[in-house]
Amino acid sequence: MINDKNSQKIVDIIRNYARKHSLWILAYGTGCGAIELPPTMTSRYDAERLGVRGAATPRQADLLLITGYLTTKSLKRVIRVYEQMQDPKYVIGFGSCTINGGMYWDSYNTIKALDRYLPVDVYINGCMPRPEAVLSGFAKLQELIQDGKANGAKEYKENLKWYRDNQKKVITNWKMPEYNW
Amino acid sequence: MMMEEIKTTIIDRIKLHFSDAVEKEFSYNRLDFSVKKETVPSILFYLKEEMGFKHLSHISCVDWLEEGEFEMIFILWSPEEKIKVFIHTRVDRSNPVMDNIDMIWRQANTYEREMKEMYGIQFTGLEAPEEFLLEDWNGPPPMRRDFDTEAYAAKTYWERPGREDALDVRETVEKRTGEVLPEFAKKYKR
Repeated sequence: MINDKNSQKIVDIIRNYARKHSLWILAYGTGCGAIELPPTMTSRYDAERLGVRGAATPRQADLLLITGYLTTKSLKRVIRVYEQMQDPKYVIGFGSCTINGGMYWDSYNTIKALDRYLPVDVYINGCMPRPEAVLSGFAKLQELIQDGKANGAKEYKENLKWYRDNQKKVITNWKMPEYNW
Repeated sequence: MMMEEIKTTIIDRIKLHFSDAVEKEFSYNRLDFSVKKETVPSILFYLKEEMGFKHLSHISCVDWLEEGEFEMIFILWSPEEKIKVFIHTRVDRSNPVMDNIDMIWRQANTYEREMKEMYGIQFTGLEAPEEFLLEDWNGPPPMRRDFDTEAYAAKTYWERPGREDALDVRETVEKRTGEVLPEFAKKYKR
């Protein structure tokens, strides 16, 4: 292979094109947002025409959908799930609970901003977002992937210390494996 | 038998066996008794074994902060008579100790674990793992009324700026649109 800049650009375009059309999602249904996924996936809105379909395990998934509020207890599981996923991996924060706490803003047990703990590529606004909004979120993510701007995983690796500090602030009893990717 | 007759029979039998029981009647198929906390296991056992209240529907707890007491409520249901009985009892708030009743109904264990975690009530001889719903919890029991949820959340979790003006919806609407609040809505303001 000729290893110059232009050929790398062509490889990137082909690679991103392939990636954006096979988003396998791992839906982490913590809150009410999981209810919006069946209509999104089934015949009325049919997300599979965009290449979006469900994956069985974290290791097969490309996209982690966090559909709703996260308690500190479930945040622990989400972090483990995210760290088990293979590159390339993306995160979508779904609903206003992941953005600013939503209606759980004064709860003693839920985090208020997801991007302090995991790198979020796309936020979908709403309480809850309708399937149209979910599809537009997927389309936005595909756009970012095509442009090579969905760099959440890279950012996570580079700023791992900052993320870890934030995670350890709310998860006081930290007994998690450290991955060396 | 009519519902009234069933109720009178139950009240008579309970008062005969438990002198500290104070009854309170509610409409149709509900009947309440207030007892001392020492009587609770025996009255529950009597209701289950002798009077057909086989089903424990719920155990609940109310925090009476001003009176310094917790009120515990046991809701029983009789499938034959189609009547429910509420057993109320009061526990001292500074030293909340209660008798464990999970040998009468095994499912009471789950409710007791929840109350232990959420209200800090100790059940003597309760055999259960330490944690139930909360994990690694260091603060006070969160369902007590003197636990300030908002202050705890503000201290523990980072809040994204930008929604400071939207804490009270009514006030925000008033400010943004100039709409005047009706008099009855003002008393619900934060």
